[in-house]
Amino acid sequence: MTLDILMSILVAGITTGALYALATVGLSLVWGSMGMLNMAHAAMLTMGGYAAFTVSSALGLPVIAGFAGAIVIGMIGGSLLYMLIVRNLLKNDKSTFESNVMIATVGIGIALENAILMIYGGQPLKQPLSIPGTLMLGPLALPYQNIVIILTVVVLMAFIALLLNRTRMGRAIRATAQNRDAAQLMGVAVNRVYFQVLVLSGGLAGICGVMVSSITQLSPPLGNDPMLKAFIMCVVAGLGNLPGAVAAAFGLALLEAFIQYAAGARWGFPSLLFVVIAVLIWRPSGLFGRAQIRRL
Amino acid sequence: MTAATLPPVLSLKNIVSGYGGLDILKGISLDVGAGEFVTVVGPNGHGKSTLLKTISGLVPLRAGSISIDGTEVTGKPHTVAGLGVAHVPQGDMLFPEMSVLENLLMGAYLAPGKAEIDRRLDEVYTLLPKLSDRRHQIASTLSGGERRMAGIGRGLMMGGRILLIDEPSLGLAPLIIEQIYGVIAELSKAGRTILLVEENPARVEDLADKLHLLDDGAIVWSGPPADLLAREELLATYLGG
Repeated sequence: MTLDILMSILVAGITTGALYALATVGLSLVWGSMGMLNMAHAAMLTMGGYAAFTVSSALGLPVIAGFAGAIVIGMIGGSLLYMLIVRNLLKNDKSTFESNVMIATVGIGIALENAILMIYGGQPLKQPLSIPGTLMLGPLALPYQNIVIILTVVVLMAFIALLLNRTRMGRAIRATAQNRDAAQLMGVAVNRVYFQVLVLSGGLAGICGVMVSSITQLSPPLGNDPMLKAFIMCVVAGLGNLPGAVAAAFGLALLEAFIQYAAGARWGFPSLLFVVIAVLIWRPSGLFGRAQIRRL
Repeated sequence: MTAATLPPVLSLKNIVSGYGGLDILKGISLDVGAGEFVTVVGPNGHGKSTLLKTISGLVPLRAGSISIDGTEVTGKPHTVAGLGVAHVPQGDMLFPEMSVLENLLMGAYLAPGKAEIDRRLDEVYTLLPKLSDRRHQIASTLSGGERRMAGIGRGLMMGGRILLIDEPSLGLAPLIIEQIYGVIAELSKAGRTILLVEENPARVEDLADKLHLLDDGAIVWSGPPADLLAREELLATYLGG
């Protein structure tokens, strides 16, 4: 393997890893704080991609407005999901919430995907929010779009880390994730936290939709592949573990890129599944799922 | 108005609560006055923790009423916390992946500003100096006694006027129990209003102003701690001697 091939694989792997990380963080945030596996995350991601397309192409507004539109649509999707579904399911028996909300969001995801199919049709569309051209650094070719994706994800990850660790809202989210009852006793309104988490996750899904479609194409099932991969990353990292999810996203994306180069594209996804099975056997709580240390 | 005629800070009237189809508390009434130290004793599984959880809103009230400063409380736990009720639950319920300092700061979640948070933090570190030494340590790695201290410290950070403490001695070594009750005694001397539940009445003999004996979700005896400890037949019947 020559150096330029190696570098190309690294660039492709890191770009894909950045996209996986973005999808994974949204999913993991919701799972970690609410115990909710949001199966409509894929559809929210797709909505973001189409929202940017509509604002930029159909309405003719600047590209940045399209990007903002994707975030807003994702956040609206998250808030509606809370207000119409999650809030009502939480009123019922808490022990059935996890299964009920998973089934409900499967239905919502299917309905949204079909709604997008009806509105936009099944033909793939080009996402206008993509930057053509390549930066040449000696033998290394870096597409501008990949650079934008990586930088955007780095900024977003820093933003999420600051939000969770340095703000009152972030501390409330982490507290709710770690002990819901104790958080309530401290004065945290956990329903407000759930709302905030779903809005934040929706916004991240919207951005992810724009990023994924900028290097592929817009189509109604756009979010399904990133969602499936994100779920794999979450399981490998340990459900709800955000830093672990980001590390797993980059690690597995690089592994997938190398396997696709070495053994062919068709072996990429099976290799990820193999890793999941191995991790579940070896460490059922995930690679970074910390076993609780409790001294007595 | 004398202290005796002041309305109680916390007043429970015939409260009923429980889980599923089962009532655990079956009509409990008690009052806690400002600065008073009231203890509810009783055997395991007879509703002591449920009593505190019902007051703080974690377990919904099915009948009766709870009043704080004369105002009836019907809210959720975060609104009860906002009224100045600080609940130190059994088993600490710390945030296991947060540091001691972050746990304490969560206690001050509703505090009005940074100056007030810093003031409360100083107060807690003065009373519980070990928490200052351990402030950057992750809560799940603390020893049992340190966790209990952190739980009390977090309750104090809430700045609540009413402190609900659930079995602070549970599962701890005698020396640690002594230290923890020493801290509680200091809080009481400083004028804090305390409602504490405990299995062993001897631990609060010198501390509590009033003691209620709980059996099967109902109060069966009330009076000064020394009176209960002198009643061997009551101790034998309800607390196994």
